[in-house]
Amino acid sequence: MDLSTLYLIFGDANQDRRAKAIKNILDGRRTVSNLYWGLEYGLLPYFGALHDFDLGDEQAAVDTLNKAGLATVSDGLLYRLSSRGVDQQNQFQASVTPLNELATVAQYDIVRFSRRFIFAVQVVSEYSYSNNRYYPQTIGFFDDQLIKRWFIQNKQRNLSNYFHQLLQQFLSGLENDQLADIFAASLTGHGFSGLTEDQLAVQTDLEPTIIQLNWLKLYSRLFLLLNKDPETPLQLLLTGLTKPLMSGSAKQTFDLFVSVRQPDPATIAQLRKIKLTTVYEHLIEAAIELPLEQFPYQRLLHKQTITNLRQAAPVNVGEWQFKAAKAQIADLQFFEFRLFQISERKKGDND
Amino acid sequence: MIDLTAELHRYLGFDSFRPGQREVLENLFAGRDTLAILPTGGGKTLLYQLYGAITHQRVVIVSPLISLMQDQVSRLQYLGSKRVVAITSAMDFQERAAILRNLNHYQYIYVSPEMLSNRNIFEMIARQSIGLFVIDEAHCISEWGPDFRPDYLRLGRIRHQLENPLTLMMTATATQRTRDDILNRMGFTATGVKQLVLPTNRSNIFLSAKICANLPEKNEQLETLVKELNGAGIIYFSSKKQTEQIAAMLSQKTDKRVMAYHGGMDNQRRFLIQQQFMNGDIDIVCATSAFGMGIDKENVRYVIHYHLPDNIQSYVQEIGRCGRDQQPSLAILLYEPNDQYLQQNLIANTIPEEQLLRYLYQHPDKLQNNDAFRVIKYYYDIGKTVDQTLAIFDQAKSRRIGELNALIQYIYTTGCRRKLLLQHFDETVEHVDPEFCCDFHTDFWGNWRQFNQQYLKSSETDQGVQSTDWHQIIDKLFLLKN
Repeated sequence: MDLSTLYLIFGDANQDRRAKAIKNILDGRRTVSNLYWGLEYGLLPYFGALHDFDLGDEQAAVDTLNKAGLATVSDGLLYRLSSRGVDQQNQFQASVTPLNELATVAQYDIVRFSRRFIFAVQVVSEYSYSNNRYYPQTIGFFDDQLIKRWFIQNKQRNLSNYFHQLLQQFLSGLENDQLADIFAASLTGHGFSGLTEDQLAVQTDLEPTIIQLNWLKLYSRLFLLLNKDPETPLQLLLTGLTKPLMSGSAKQTFDLFVSVRQPDPATIAQLRKIKLTTVYEHLIEAAIELPLEQFPYQRLLHKQTITNLRQAAPVNVGEWQFKAAKAQIADLQFFEFRLFQISERKKGDND
Repeated sequence: MIDLTAELHRYLGFDSFRPGQREVLENLFAGRDTLAILPTGGGKTLLYQLYGAITHQRVVIVSPLISLMQDQVSRLQYLGSKRVVAITSAMDFQERAAILRNLNHYQYIYVSPEMLSNRNIFEMIARQSIGLFVIDEAHCISEWGPDFRPDYLRLGRIRHQLENPLTLMMTATATQRTRDDILNRMGFTATGVKQLVLPTNRSNIFLSAKICANLPEKNEQLETLVKELNGAGIIYFSSKKQTEQIAAMLSQKTDKRVMAYHGGMDNQRRFLIQQQFMNGDIDIVCATSAFGMGIDKENVRYVIHYHLPDNIQSYVQEIGRCGRDQQPSLAILLYEPNDQYLQQNLIANTIPEEQLLRYLYQHPDKLQNNDAFRVIKYYYDIGKTVDQTLAIFDQAKSRRIGELNALIQYIYTTGCRRKLLLQHFDETVEHVDPEFCCDFHTDFWGNWRQFNQQYLKSSETDQGVQSTDWHQIIDKLFLLKN
């Protein structure tokens, strides 16, 4: 995918945004820093949504925007959209609207679902023509086996009529025919090879990245639709696609923390045989990922610390630097500072 | 006695064998180990597939082309066999473990020589009963072959440890020296193995080469050719990046449908482009040598080399991808003087320098788990001294340079190209048709447009335009049943 297009879509005209962090957020690099910036930029719902794509180099992408007058760039690869950048952003967003549907890609492995679906279409399509001489796709050993098993279990169910009807309904229900054409071009089967995103881009006059984002959006929609139907013959294709909210290790730390009688990060570190700093990182990850009321801020932040932080905090707490805060509150820990920022941000969002 | 033609029809739906196929199968059914040199497109896959189908025995195929092994699996599935699997280093641990646990469910097992050298994998394979042991691209065994792979050298011993199953060694091109070396390293004697060598010559492919003054002239020549040549074509490159650049240039400047293809692309994209090419949805593929194995397109009318191939053997293999339907086809090699240096650089990059070699001999831990040092590790492990290994690499380098010179000689020859090409394989041409041989006998470059009109015919099946209307697409995809 073209990173400069993504930077436009996920950029802002009122906030300098860290190019590296945005790339890492979309790629799903689970560090406390990336998660925090995801929260701060309102991009947490898209965390890891584009993990399966090659996103390219951030410096080159930012330079492209800068040269085209679409963004201004400052040290540390911070960029801010210009008014022309915002126009372009609006155009792009209009062709992937509503953007928030991409959040499904962060919750479920939609790329994997689309590969399974496209492979299933190929198998059913060729079967409907009684053709067993074709090059099957390969989508990884386990999913190849899954499709095989699914097909053996379901081939008596007149799948060709089912797929035709499903797609007829799904595609005619989309906002416009162009979207339906874009979706249909992702399929492959008997007598139809399908198109790559760049071939489709030429035909539709859209950016290849926009085509790919639309595919993700439409496959997300199809996934949710099928997921609601307990009778669908495609049930097996929907299994094992949920992405965990937190890393396994962070979840273990958090679960332990809320289950022990007197929770204390140092005790958890001992129990889990991990470093204390790792425990802090895991707890910050949990605080970022969980709704405000599900995280025990009061157990980790003393009332006095909160009062001190509130008194010293600038208007924009999100951009507040730890160094500046520490200068005002001498015994402040980074962990406390970050938790405070997270809780303030979440309160703001709730309001 | 088995009626092989009837079995061919029964299992694979074909009515007749291609040259050499029947003889190879007869040898295998007579229990004779066989070395088969069949040209590209000669149907090597069919040999072991049919043997497996008739005997219901397990077939283990050692293949060096890891990135293309999945294509081979697909190809076998395409030809009707379903219990096929590949074990490669490209798989993750869980996938490999699952396959190894269920190995007895598979009838055709592809494995790379590196994987077979892994004790755990070897033991799992050794537990299976093996009806036929196939060594594909057998020229890799030979140090005289262009693609020498050290793990192939262990195959003789591995075969012995597998209790000497019936063995079929196959390659498209091998000189006499290479053939002798293959047998020797596999532990066979020349008399113990049946050798079947089919002529390399493909008389339906016209041979030509063009020396351009410089790169712009080469690009211009390519563009002119692509604009006018009829039918489907493949253009080969030695650089992945250039496949994309030239494909973009040709799409822009000609009305042909051109796509790039190389091993660095993801599976889905490679699959799509292969499908489109096979279905005639695109006219031309700009590719690295990775392209060709997974496709079975009969009516490719021309192959153009934009860069020099690795050597004459590779060249013959690559041009063999046109004209499988036996109809007149065209091979063009475009050359400009700098191409030679590009190839020299490639050779220099693949053969380690003395300084690096000495360093690695002093720090052998660095040889572990690094694919780039596999060949060095092999020589280190078998106890070669650093000077001996250096001498081996020097020799390899001289050989590669010799091969490059042979290609340059082919380009600059003032005689018959076919004669020169076949000399390399100790073949002679009995009947040359001066009208349709190479650009030595006729003024091809003065009359190529006429040649194009006369010989290169577009296939009607390749004229189609894919619909982009979703109604039409889903109607086309699913044949509805009442």
